Amino acid sequence: MNRRGFLAFGCACGALLRPGLSRGDEAEWKPPPRFTRPDVASDEGGLWAMMDREETRLRRSPFRVKDRDLNEYVQGIACRLGGEHCPDIRVYLVRTPWFNANMAPNGMMQVWSGLMLRADNEAQLAAVLGHEIGHYVARHSVDQLRDAKSRSAFASVLGVIPVVGPLGGLGVLGAGFSYTRDHEREADRIGVMLMRKAGYDTAEASKVWSNLLLELEARPGGNPSKNGFFASHPPAEERQAALKALAEAMPGGATNAGMWREKTKAFRREWLEDEVKRGQREESVALLTRKIAAEPDQPDYLYFRGEAYRLRAAEGDYAAALVDYQAAALNAGAPPELWRGMGTVHRARHEIPEARASYRSYLDAAPKAPDAPMIKSYLEELGQ
Amino acid sequence: MKKSILIPCLLWLVGCMPSPPMTVKPESGEQVVGDRLTVTLDGSWNHIYVPGQTADHWTIEGLPIDDLQIYSGIKDGQAIHPVVRGSSATPIVFHSTMQPDEIVSLFEGMLTRDGSTFQLVKSEPATFGGAKGYHFEFKVVRKVDSVELSGVGYGAVSNGELFSIVYVAPRMTFFGRYRDRVENIARGVRIKGAT
Repeated sequence: MNRRGFLAFGCACGALLRPGLSRGDEAEWKPPPRFTRPDVASDEGGLWAMMDREETRLRRSPFRVKDRDLNEYVQGIACRLGGEHCPDIRVYLVRTPWFNANMAPNGMMQVWSGLMLRADNEAQLAAVLGHEIGHYVARHSVDQLRDAKSRSAFASVLGVIPVVGPLGGLGVLGAGFSYTRDHEREADRIGVMLMRKAGYDTAEASKVWSNLLLELEARPGGNPSKNGFFASHPPAEERQAALKALAEAMPGGATNAGMWREKTKAFRREWLEDEVKRGQREESVALLTRKIAAEPDQPDYLYFRGEAYRLRAAEGDYAAALVDYQAAALNAGAPPELWRGMGTVHRARHEIPEARASYRSYLDAAPKAPDAPMIKSYLEELGQ
Repeated sequence: MKKSILIPCLLWLVGCMPSPPMTVKPESGEQVVGDRLTVTLDGSWNHIYVPGQTADHWTIEGLPIDDLQIYSGIKDGQAIHPVVRGSSATPIVFHSTMQPDEIVSLFEGMLTRDGSTFQLVKSEPATFGGAKGYHFEFKVVRKVDSVELSGVGYGAVSNGELFSIVYVAPRMTFFGRYRDRVENIARGVRIKGAT
């Protein structure tokens, strides 16, 4: 058995031995009643007040995905998971191309577009939202605050939060809630129970982590444990195995894949563009290869994988890019930019007639593109 | 005495010492950037010198507000930004065979690495420093503070090296106020041995 297999097996056994994993315990677990706003003079009240200020900023952020339909849809998922806590959960969708969601103790939840891009169905998103609601109902952020105080490190925790604006914007907020690995495990367990209660297929929770693992392994060096994300989170392998074991104890449920695709399709191109701009070519190729396996004729996935190959430009990448561009071009609704990408690759390979034809196709498909004057100049250089 | 110099030098080389502070120096008139690029500043600008930076930074109002980046002699295979040791992020690297739209994409990649959004407004051929090059305009929403910025860039590849200037400032007030000065600077750039 290799290291990965051994780890997965060990973690699965560990997860099965943990208290609270059986169907019986699921029935016993009761979420706490809704929280009341703490006294503003208390430590928790201070934390809520800071989060309220951050929420005001987030509400006005130009990075918010403001589409009403998508917001209501995701808010609905969070509400089904949150049950009695639904009125206190306020979901904000944020255009940020990394995999993340977080929830503050005052009920503000952020869901980043990088996570929505990676979710294959509603159940996978519900797995992450359920996990965040798990932190919320178990009041982990308050535990963290008090633990930090007891270690005379209060300032180091609170110090992160007020500088969210000037320093790191929305991205830093997540760092303000750096939970312990035990907290993460408990949130996973609660999240799966909430998923099951809301009627989702709990097997999708472990797939979130196996998918993420594929991307992390694709990185140069390929060692997910070296990723900073896992400093506070259990390793993806452990998480995947533990969640799989939990799902086996609570089988069944819906994935709602069709609904998820329908609700997010209008944003897919923008989110994919942001993904490729992250500059993590190996991760993007791994993500898009997975997406193409599930939807082989989806031209956006083919085009953007072609872009990732073209931009990486390692040996064989130009050829791979051309294959993807050509496959994308066969499908209705393909982005016109694929012709520009083909032109660039052909030109780099000194295939001048093909480069000319591709650039012409781009200008035909997007005559008013902001770079049309530049592309016209290429055609002049290459000879009409 | 020798040890007292040697130890800090070694620590510096292995990255154990804090970076020296940036310096700010008001400048105007003709300036030489790198080995081959000469610019004539329109008015008075503050030259921000940060060790290890790939570009020279100049500003009128201060760096959080407006930023004129001057790239001089970036070589084939060189990153257009400082590479942080130990970072998993793939560096954004210039290649001398790149077409202008690919170079514009490099700057786009650099400006959006933190999750900021970028929208290309225009990209067209232009002469820069006596060489055949490019001009582009863009809009950015900066992630760190949600400020909406406008920007303009010029550049060219000469003898396999990249020369470019990129200016960004808040769309409201500042970009419009200084755009003409930046365009005057771009028009006056000279690249030694431009081809």
